[in-house]
Parts: sequence; C-alpha cells; structure tokens
Amino acid sequence: MLPFEAGLTVTLGLRDSKVTDVAIVSTRLVQASRLLAGRDPVQVTTLLPTLYALCGTAQALAGAAAVEDALGLLPSPLQRMARRFLLLLEILTEHSFSILRDWPALLDESPDLSPARLLRPLVHNARRSLYPDGDWARPGGGRLEVDAVALGMILPPLKALLAHIFAGSVDQIVDSPSLFDTWCEHGDGLPARLLRRVRQSGLGGFGAAASHFMPAEGPADVGERLAADDGGRYLARPDYHGRVLETGSLSRQHAHPLVAGLLAQYGSGLLPRFAARMAEIAAALQEAEDLVQDLSAEAVPPPSPGGSGIGLGRVDAARGLLIHGVTLKEGRVSTYKILAPTEWNFHPAGPLAAGLTGARDDDGLIWRARLLAAALDPCVACRFEVAQYA
Amino acid sequence: MCMAVPSRIVAMENGSATVEAFGALRTTSLMLLDEQVQVGDYVILGAGGNFAAEKVEPERALEALAYLTEILASGQA
Repeated sequence: MLPFEAGLTVTLGLRDSKVTDVAIVSTRLVQASRLLAGRDPVQVTTLLPTLYALCGTAQALAGAAAVEDALGLLPSPLQRMARRFLLLLEILTEHSFSILRDWPALLDESPDLSPARLLRPLVHNARRSLYPDGDWARPGGGRLEVDAVALGMILPPLKALLAHIFAGSVDQIVDSPSLFDTWCEHGDGLPARLLRRVRQSGLGGFGAAASHFMPAEGPADVGERLAADDGGRYLARPDYHGRVLETGSLSRQHAHPLVAGLLAQYGSGLLPRFAARMAEIAAALQEAEDLVQDLSAEAVPPPSPGGSGIGLGRVDAARGLLIHGVTLKEGRVSTYKILAPTEWNFHPAGPLAAGLTGARDDDGLIWRARLLAAALDPCVACRFEVAQYA
Repeated sequence: MCMAVPSRIVAMENGSATVEAFGALRTTSLMLLDEQVQVGDYVILGAGGNFAAEKVEPERALEALAYLTEILASGQA
C-alpha cells in the first residue's frame, strides 16, 4: 500500500463479554491539502479531481465554491444547476458502486462488479456534455454548453442499473413503510437480501446511539475553527462545542417519512441507516431527472478569478458534508484545508464508536461492526480488530 | 477522502495490468475501464488497488504525481 492510500483501523476493546471502548486510528492524510498553498486557484480546482478521483466532483466543486466565497464571486443560476447535476450524478454512482463492491461481503458473497463498468464513464460523459472545455469546476463558472443528445444518455442507464441493483424502483420502495416492508421481506437483489438478513437477525436497531445531525450549512463555527487549526487537530478530529456531529444519508434524510418512522422504531440503528441510503438515492435520482430538463448553455463565460480573501466551500457529497477552506492572497492560494465527512462519522467519539460501544461480544460481533461501518460508508478501507481486557 | 495515485502501466496480460507508482509495482484488474489502455498509460486505482478505476491523461497524472511527491518530501505521508 502506498502512503497516500490510507485506511481506518477500529479496535473493539472487550471486557465482560461486551465492547467497552472503541479505538479508531486513521492514517488519512488530513493535512496534505496544506501543500496546495502557492498555487493558482484554477490550478487547484483542476488538480483536485485527479487527487481525489473517487469523489472528484465533490472535491473540485467544494474547491470552486471556497474560492468563489473568498473572492465574492457568485456563479450564475445555470452554472449552479449544472454543477448540482454533476454532483448528484457522483452521489448516485458512488452509492451504486459502494453497494456493488461492499455489500456482497456482508452476505459472504463475492461481488460482481461488471455492472459498475458504466459508472465512471457516465460521470466523465456528463462533464463533457455540459462543459466541453473540461472547465466544469472553474471558479466563477466554466464555458457551459449543453450537448443535449449526450446528456440525454446519462440517466437512463444509471436508472436501469439502480433498478437492477434494487430489483425494483427505489423511489417506489421507499415511498411507504408497507412497500419497504414487503420489499425487505420478499424482494430480490442484494440490498433486499441484506436488509432481510438484518431484520431476521434482530439487528434493525443495532448501532443505535444518540445522534447529533450535521446542520445543512455545517457547523456554525467551522470558519473560525479551520482558521485557528494550525496543527491539524480539528481537521483530524472535528467537533462542534464538544459534540461530534454525524453527516451523510441519515443526517440528510432523517425527516423522510420512511426513515423517520424507522428512527422512531429502532433509533439510529442499521435499518434506518440503510433505508436512508435508499431514500437518498431515490431523491438524488428524482432531482437529477428534474434538473436535466432545465440545463442550458450560458452565453457569456465568467471572468477569471483573482484577488485576496478567505472563503469556505460546502458540498453535500455522497458520504456527507465536505468543507474546503481557502485563503487567497493576490490571486494565489495561501492556505488550503479540507474537512471530510469521514472525520466526523469515524471520529473516535462519533457515530460508529458510539454505536459499537456496549455491543455484545459473540461470534457475530465483527460482522455486525462491518455492517455498521458499511451503513456509515467510509471513504477509505476500514478494518476491525479486537482487544480482550482482563 | 482517499487520495488517488496515478499509476503507470508497465505490463498487461489477460485483463490485468502491472502498474508502477513511487517505485511500487502492483497488479490490478482492468475490467472496470471502458477505454482502451496500453503500456505507458496512467490509471487511477480504486480503493484497495484491486482495479483500475479510470485512465488519466499524462499531463494530469504528472501534475498529481508532482504534488504527491511534495507531500512525501514534506513528511505529511
């Protein structure tokens, strides 16, 4: 493994047949973005999708938003719509891919990744169909042209793949508790079989703990905390007034009728978490289908950025809220910081740790822990160990 | 926020490739690529390195590798 390809190691401390403490060690390079200092902001937003290729749309758009905030640039409504479409597409492809890659192992099955072959080309084709010059993340906005034919070929295969994954229409499955219940009980396909196993194992509420959901705009103090964080402690282990917030599907979808009902029944356990992922997929697909009707070209390319300022860029990425903080001085990046959702969700005092503390120690402990990690969906590999205390 | 390391293909055989980055050689599946690749091309690997996720243009790959080299030199990695 190369030093850049980090991971999470979760150690479950056992005493009296229970998990009494959860230690999470991350080797993620949370301070690497410091080295973006000195670069031109356009160069940074061009570099970000390659550096963070697996969530490259969210990273680059968070970077563009931070630079725009610093310079007082307001991208046009059309630019915002086109960016939102690209982001929704990444959310859909990332969720699809993580289900195809990670969920089979939770049922002791081998993954079949062949359906995933279409996912990344869709992301690239969508970028090209909207921004032929490749400047989709340019601060202020790129040259927006719409290739309607190419754009029209993005969502249908993705919708078909999702129907294949869920063996049905995900928006209908999450439309009512009774439909969701029937699908869990009798549905075909990997997600239905996984949720059926969760229910049959009595694990719908496994991992439930007190939840502190991330506000839509992020922590109110994030700007000051990032600015003061010279040592990187906040980036590695963020908090809001001492509390570790949860971000991601459950945080964003907790008011969805199906998810709210499951939360009331199970707390923030596995079943509401997986249902929230499905609700998020359904909502993203619907929004993308609505947006694609309204995307159109923009006649005047916006001006190039330049100047000085401090800015924040917030993007709701597939795994939660992604925040970039930038300081610009005379058109160059002076400081650059990235706060990623995994730092909240896999914080040593975050929802994974809280959900595993108190879990019963038996043969299925690691499997249950892996289920909870999969429901929270880290952006890097996560492995579990146990430590037996006397 | 998994950082992606552009890796250069040094050999190909039966749908797999041997790729090199920072002196490390790895074998990776090409099954998820929709573009044709050849020896000398750069690809980005998915999490865990088991498969190539996408082909990257050489100039983008070299720019990213230069940045990653700076990270290594700084002691951040």
